[in-house]
Amino acid sequence: MQNDIRIFFTKTGMAKYISHLDLMRCMSRAFKRAQIPLWFTEGFNPHLFMTFARPLSLGQESLCEVVDVRLVGEMTFKEMQTRMNAVLPRDITVVGVAKPVHKPSEIAVAEYAIKLFTDSPNALCEYIQSGFEAQQITVLKKAKQGRKKIEKEIDIKPNVLNFEIAPQETHVLLNVSLTAGDQNNINPTLLLSALTAGFPSEIENTEILKTKILMEDGEQFC
Amino acid sequence: MLSRAQEKLLAKVQKPARYTGGELNSVVKNKADVKLRYAFCFPDSYEIGMSHLGMKILYSLVNERADAWCERVFAPWEDMETLLRENHMPLYALESGDALSEFDMIGFTLQYELSYSNVLNMLDLGGVPIRSADRTDLTPIVVGGGPCACNPEPMADFFDIFLPGEGEEVTNELIDLLIAHKEKGSDKLTFLREAAKIEGVYVPAFYDVTYHNDGTIEAVTPKETAPAKVKKRIIADLDSVYYPEKFVVPFIDIVHDRAVAEVFRGCIRGCRFCQAGFIYRPIREKSSDTVNRQAKCLCDSTGYDEVSLCSLSTSDYTGIETLIPKMFQWALPEKINVALPSLRVDNFSEELMEELKKVRKSGLTFAPEAGTQRLRDAINKNVTEEEVLKTSAQAFRGGWTSVKLYFMMGLPTETLEDIAGIADLAQKVVNEFYKNPDKPKGKGVTVSISVASFVPKPFTPFQWEPQDTMEQLVAKQKHLMENVHTHKIQVSWHQSRTSFLEGVFARGDRKLCNVIESAWRKGCKFDGWDEYFLFDKWMEAFEENGIDPAFYSNRRREFSEILPWDHLDYGIRKAFLEEENKKAHESVTTPHCRQKCAACGAAKLNGGHCDAK
Repeated sequence: MQNDIRIFFTKTGMAKYISHLDLMRCMSRAFKRAQIPLWFTEGFNPHLFMTFARPLSLGQESLCEVVDVRLVGEMTFKEMQTRMNAVLPRDITVVGVAKPVHKPSEIAVAEYAIKLFTDSPNALCEYIQSGFEAQQITVLKKAKQGRKKIEKEIDIKPNVLNFEIAPQETHVLLNVSLTAGDQNNINPTLLLSALTAGFPSEIENTEILKTKILMEDGEQFC
Repeated sequence: MLSRAQEKLLAKVQKPARYTGGELNSVVKNKADVKLRYAFCFPDSYEIGMSHLGMKILYSLVNERADAWCERVFAPWEDMETLLRENHMPLYALESGDALSEFDMIGFTLQYELSYSNVLNMLDLGGVPIRSADRTDLTPIVVGGGPCACNPEPMADFFDIFLPGEGEEVTNELIDLLIAHKEKGSDKLTFLREAAKIEGVYVPAFYDVTYHNDGTIEAVTPKETAPAKVKKRIIADLDSVYYPEKFVVPFIDIVHDRAVAEVFRGCIRGCRFCQAGFIYRPIREKSSDTVNRQAKCLCDSTGYDEVSLCSLSTSDYTGIETLIPKMFQWALPEKINVALPSLRVDNFSEELMEELKKVRKSGLTFAPEAGTQRLRDAINKNVTEEEVLKTSAQAFRGGWTSVKLYFMMGLPTETLEDIAGIADLAQKVVNEFYKNPDKPKGKGVTVSISVASFVPKPFTPFQWEPQDTMEQLVAKQKHLMENVHTHKIQVSWHQSRTSFLEGVFARGDRKLCNVIESAWRKGCKFDGWDEYFLFDKWMEAFEENGIDPAFYSNRRREFSEILPWDHLDYGIRKAFLEEENKKAHESVTTPHCRQKCAACGAAKLNGGHCDAK
């Protein structure tokens, strides 16, 4: 544990189209270019030891991505951050380097800022509002029963911890806190598909930005 | 930078990162600051195009200039094309998001004949008229290069300029010229007249082609400022030629996702079927110091954990023994894998194999190309059965349990005996595995044989030969399968239909331009991809234009016939190719260039200098 380092980074703009698998390759190459002395696994095919706290869905942006690596030499956190930002592609930026405090398994909540672009923001805002106020928010979630892949209906209303919604000129702005983590993770696209189903006019575009990851007690994950 | 409308499409396509740009080391400039915008187009998918070394070189080369900006364009996959057409949006370049029609110069690399329909599709999607004659303004100028530029005649009506040979110098000269003519406000014809005076620039519209009644060429007559013969360009000194310090590093997995260091151009071997072995002559090597420095520099700037050496027949590089230890010195501590593709069985030494084992073990591939010694002699693939077996045995002792063997069928002078020989040779390799007393317990051996259909190509000794018909090829494939008696031998082959079409275009003339346009209008594209290849549509297109494809593929040409590419000069003497053809029919080999210079003629392009001498 002594040399574990936690790197906080943002993944915005065009970088939202980089899948998780591609992101891993991208980060490992960036560490190599930055010449940060990191620990490699010692198997037949040595590879960089790297653990991401939570994978981010393709198409979503984030201000709070986390990757853990293991340092095997001397380097200050500041130096690491500077070196990484010099070699990372545009739209991925390291915003902090620190010793890990919490375990990734302690992540319980994620906050999102969502923009839904439409011609009729007021109507959409009311439509979503009433969806939140319903008894249940039922969604179809893919699951496994033994080896069989099934779809089951679940109510995700308990997973919505908080929300604020307001119409803007071109879009609806939705701030929402959802349960996150290994067990109760709710993808915001799942919630949106339930809340916007049946809305009569087209939603042109949806922007989802993950803004914070928190622990059970509401404290920021760090 | 993409517009909101473009971004909207990305949410609906597979692998959106193919269309976003913004990769590490991609170059974004301010379009107001440059005098010329160059769109480098690869007429296939992003994953294939991004693997191409030539594009990486020319992209960086043009972007070194302050007055020009080079961007990349790939053929969009079907889902993206549908969305672009539905939304009336043009095909755009990845760096700026601007439509292809906004560029001053549009360069296509013609790597294989089956990408021709994609060229038309990309121009059309980009809002550019497909025919040169319909593009009346000075810009965009559509330029083509790459190996197929050695016989670009089937595409002559669609391009303004072809650049036979190596592009590093002539690209810059052409850009300088176009900038000057843009500033002067010249018309297109004035520009093309000046361009045709540059060595290595071929303006197809400046040549009139007339035909005999039997369809063969009567004469190719130059007009305007065009030379009677266009000489291909070569780079004299590879140690000083531009080589990029950075590659664009893609986000998604591409076909060859690694750093590449070029070690030499040309080939000493003279295999008679191999077009690359002739059209890239004369031999020019880089020094091992240059290769080592360029490889290290690329690994540092990209973060790749693999670097490969690139050339034809890489083990013929005279500096290989000094280069490999130099590279291992920095590559091993940084856990970078050094890949050596294209090794030959006859000089694959025990020491080299030991070195290779230090890094990750990949598959072993040999290319005997033909099943019997007689046929190997005819095609001048100077590899003996004994060498194949000895090397396989050596590899099996080294712990390998699978070997891949590459063959061709449909070679000139081939008989069914030669086909059976393929299966025999594979069986002997299997037997070698079981002769090894230390073979790993509980492990079997897999010998994969991959059989390509031979396609005769321009500038090879076989350029006059008839290609096997599809029926002949299918019969030979059947004969091969009847001679394979074990599951330890896995056989795969190419579709005979795609090889047939490739053969038509490889040695085609200008009469095929209309066929290509018709086929594209019928929906043909991505012809190299089995799932998109529409053979029947192609046959309809031939029929409608009154063209018999067999005229191009299955006909033996007289040595005296004027060939569609005779007005292009690749250095190789036609008399030399004729000599080699006759030797093939007598199964007489020609020693490789370091044993004895065969006087092919290519050295004249380089002031008489050739590194094989």
